[in-house]
Amino acid sequence: MKALKKSVWVFHVNTGACNNCDIEIVNLLTPRFDVERLGIRLVGSPRHADALLVTGVGTRQAAKRLQEVYRQTAKPCVVFCMGACAGGTGIFEGAYHVAGPVDKIIREVDPNAIIAYVPGCPPKPEAMISGVVKALAAI
Amino acid sequence: MKQQELDSRLAEIRDKLIDIERKQNNRIFLLCEGENSRAVNKFLFEGLGLRFVIVTGIDSEHCFEVLYHYANDETGCFVTIKAFIRDREHPEIESITPMLPAAEWIEREIHDILGIGFRNHPNMRRLILCDDWPEGVYPLRKEVKK
Repeated sequence: MKALKKSVWVFHVNTGACNNCDIEIVNLLTPRFDVERLGIRLVGSPRHADALLVTGVGTRQAAKRLQEVYRQTAKPCVVFCMGACAGGTGIFEGAYHVAGPVDKIIREVDPNAIIAYVPGCPPKPEAMISGVVKALAAI
Repeated sequence: MKQQELDSRLAEIRDKLIDIERKQNNRIFLLCEGENSRAVNKFLFEGLGLRFVIVTGIDSEHCFEVLYHYANDETGCFVTIKAFIRDREHPEIESITPMLPAAEWIEREIHDILGIGFRNHPNMRRLILCDDWPEGVYPLRKEVKK
């Protein structure tokens, strides 16, 4: 667990988002908010990642793929559900393509997963940084 | 083309239409039956040279409607063809993809979501529903609940 405290390497997964939350995540890495000064780095493979940034309501097509990505992530890892859709289906409640919010999909694979929620539509980059910092402090 | 020219040219196709509605100055609706939709589309695209925008599918209570949207960029006028499909059991309409390759994907999407068959479509496959979605269930039809 102490390995997660300092420089956290993240992998970004989009399970059917409208891309607003993805744009805000990419904003975090640009020089204005610059989370690389905190050691947070975007990696290209879940096997290198300490944290998963998941956006989008879990669609039926993406549910199996998200579970596979979670299984391949190096444990211990934290899952951050960014946005209202990932946190609990957002405005897509009851729609035909929704296979449950992201935490339900992940808990099918691992009931003891560490999941943190950052609400907002989309969450402001400041809110995302604050959410990540609070979650890592609480571990 | 200018607005007056457009209006006078639209009179040429009047025999294939049920009605011409002019909701606003720059918004014209051409109502027709499904059988005539291909001829009207051909007239608007090849005859008048309007720009194809998109196709919309609607599930009305007693029929299906397929709307073809065209834009006249010179005046900012939108011309929409409203084609009615009366048969609710096996809705079918002629595909415009052989004439307009740009319509291929949107017709595939309407087929996935509303179940309207497009005759002579060169590549009718699933587009946006997920791989394990059951065949024959069309999510945006009014009778489908969940």
